Amino acid sequence: MEKSVDELEKDQRELIHVLHDVQEEFGYIPAQAISQISKQLKISESEIFGVLTFYKAFSLKPRGEHLITICVGTACHVRGAPMILDEFERKLGIKAGETSEDNQFTLETVNCVGACALGPIAIADGEYHGQLKTRKVDKIIDKLMSTKRNGSD
Amino acid sequence: MVKIHIDKKPIDVEEGTTVLKAAETAGISIPHLCYHDAFPPEGSCRMCLVEIEGLPKLELACSTQVRDGMKVFTKSEKVVEARKGVLEFLLAEHPLDCPICDKAGDCKLQDYYDEYGLFESQFRESKEKREKKDKIGKSLIHDEERCILCRRCVRFLREITETQELGVFERGIHSRVNIYDLTPVDNNYSGNLAQICPVGAITDEDFRFKTRSWFLKKGESICPLCSRGCSITIEYHPGFSHFGVPSRVYRIQSRENQEVNGFWICDMGRYGYSYLSENRLDKIVINNKEWNIQPTWEDVSYFINQQLKKLDEGKKTSQTVLILNTWLSNEELFLIHKIFKNDQNLERIFFADRPQAEKDDFLLTAERTPNKKGALEMGFDMKPANPGALSDKTDLLLAFGSFLAEQISAADLKKALEKIETKVLFTSHENELNSLFDIVLPTALIPEKGGSLTNIDGKIQKFSPVFEPPGDSLPEWMMLADLGRKFGINSSFYGEFKTPETIAKEIENEVPFFREQK
Repeated sequence: MEKSVDELEKDQRELIHVLHDVQEEFGYIPAQAISQISKQLKISESEIFGVLTFYKAFSLKPRGEHLITICVGTACHVRGAPMILDEFERKLGIKAGETSEDNQFTLETVNCVGACALGPIAIADGEYHGQLKTRKVDKIIDKLMSTKRNGSD
Repeated sequence: MVKIHIDKKPIDVEEGTTVLKAAETAGISIPHLCYHDAFPPEGSCRMCLVEIEGLPKLELACSTQVRDGMKVFTKSEKVVEARKGVLEFLLAEHPLDCPICDKAGDCKLQDYYDEYGLFESQFRESKEKREKKDKIGKSLIHDEERCILCRRCVRFLREITETQELGVFERGIHSRVNIYDLTPVDNNYSGNLAQICPVGAITDEDFRFKTRSWFLKKGESICPLCSRGCSITIEYHPGFSHFGVPSRVYRIQSRENQEVNGFWICDMGRYGYSYLSENRLDKIVINNKEWNIQPTWEDVSYFINQQLKKLDEGKKTSQTVLILNTWLSNEELFLIHKIFKNDQNLERIFFADRPQAEKDDFLLTAERTPNKKGALEMGFDMKPANPGALSDKTDLLLAFGSFLAEQISAADLKKALEKIETKVLFTSHENELNSLFDIVLPTALIPEKGGSLTNIDGKIQKFSPVFEPPGDSLPEWMMLADLGRKFGINSSFYGEFKTPETIAKEIENEVPFFREQK
C-alpha cells in the first residue's frame, strides 16, 4: 500500500486521481490509505474524507469480487427495473448497497447510465446487459461466478 | 475612493470594499450567516442577497465589490422576498428546537427569521434525522441537525489554528460537518468554534443548559491569565441581592481587538473563569489575638499607617518589605511606587508572580504576568521574593496576592514569616497562606475594578469594573490612595485620586513611557 501511494505525484491537485488509483487497486479506500495520502500530499484527513464521501466512485467498505450495478433511473424504472433489482437481491441474498458475505458480489443502484433505450439495464463488471428480463438474472450471476476479476488466482 | 448609493444613501468607500462592508460603514446592516470578518467571503448561506441596479439577478453583498456609481438596494421588495425564500430553505432541514437550544437568544438564524421570515412552513415532509449530540472536542457538542453548513468552523480550523479537524462530508442533503475518524477537535482555541457558529450547531459543554443567554449581562474586560491581555466579554448573572444570591460568571467570550487578539481568545482564558467566584475572600481576616474586634478597612488603614509612621520616625523604613505582583494595575503600581519608593525610600520591593508555563504559537504567552511591562516601565526592578531577603531584620511586611505560595515552599515561607513582627496580606482569595499573616484584606479582581494593564507588547489597555467585588473587598488602588492620604505626605496630591482615570493622568505626567504610548 505504502508503495502504491509513494509512486503517486506529490501534488495536492492530484487528490482525486490518487483516490481513483487506490480505489482501483484495492476495490475500496482503506483508512491507512487516507492517512498515507494525507501525509504525502499534505492535505488533512478530514478534507480527503470530505472529497471521497462526496463522490460515489469511491467506497469506504471493501467491495466484492464482482460489481453489479442496476439502473433505477426513470426510464428503467418504468420498464421494470424494480423487478430486476428484486430478483438480484433475492438471488444474491443481499440488499442494494451491500456486499455478499463471501465477498463475491456487491450490488449497487445508479440513477441513470444514459442508455435509457436499452432499459432496464444492469452492468455486471463493466459489461452492459440491456433489455433485461428477470429470467436472465441467473445467467448473469452464473457468468460472473465462472470468471475471476483482474485475472487473479 | 468610489461613490456608491446604498438604499439611496450616498457613501464614499475605498475601492475593493465589498457591498456588505460598505453598507456597514453607512450603518446599514445586511443579514449574513456564513460571512465572518476573519475569513474571505464564502457565499454559501445566500442571506446577504441585495439588488444592484442594472444587474438582472440579486447579488451577494459579502463577495460583490463596489464599483463607482453602483446603486444598491438592501430592502427592496425583491430582496425581502428572496431573503424569505433563503430562510425557508435554511429552515427546511432545521430542527427548530430553539426552546432547548443553547444558542437561542444569540442565534442569528432565529433573529433573521424574526426580522425577515415569519412565514408558514410549506414543507410537509419529515425532516432528516441526524446526530444531535456528537462530542467533537474537549468542550464542544455538535448537533448535525441544526447545522446550516456555513463552514465557519471548518474555515477557522483551516485558516486560524491550521489543525483542520473538521470537514464537510458527503453531499447534497446528506452533507454534514464532522470530525474524521473520531479524532476530536483538540487545540487551545477550540472554544472559539462555539462562539463563531451562527446557529446552535456547535455548543459549549461548559455553558450548555446552565442558563439562557437573555438572563445574562455583558461586560467588557481584559483577560489577565497571560501577558497578552486579550479583550474579552464577561457574561454574568447579576444575582439577586435581596435574597443573598451573589452574581455569577457563566462564560467568557472573545471580543474583537485587532491590535491584540483579533477575534479570538485561547481556551485557557475562555474556560478559566472559576477563580472569579470560587474561594473568594469577602471579609477582613484578623489572625492576631490582640485584636478582639472585627476591624473595618478604616481601622486597618489607620493601623498600617501608624506602623509605617513609627518606622519612619525611627528611620527604620528599610525594615519594611513589600511583595507585589503583576495583577496590580498600572495605577496601583504607580501609587505603590509613589508611596513606598519615592516617599519612603523602600529598597526591599519584591515581586511574586505566577511561574512561566507553556506557550503556543498564537496568543498564549509563556509569561503569565498581565502587567509585567507596566511594572518595569514604572521603575520596579522586579526582583523575585526569596525567604532570606524577606525576613532579614523585617518589622513590617505588606504582601499583595497569593502567588508567594507558588514561589516559596510552605515550610520556608512559614519560617521566614515567623521572624516578622507585623504581616499584612492583600489578597482576593482564601488561601493557606492567609493564616500566616496578621491581617488579611480582601481585594478586587480585574473585572471588579477600574484601571489599565500594559501587555507584553507595551500596549496600555484600560478596563472598567464589570461587577461589584464580593463582600468587603475593595480595589487595591482605593486602599493605596487611602494609605497615601493618611500618610500625610503631600496629602493634597493623594486627595485628588478619586478614580483610576485621575491616577492615569498623573502617570502620563510623570512616567515618559505612558506619555509616549498615548
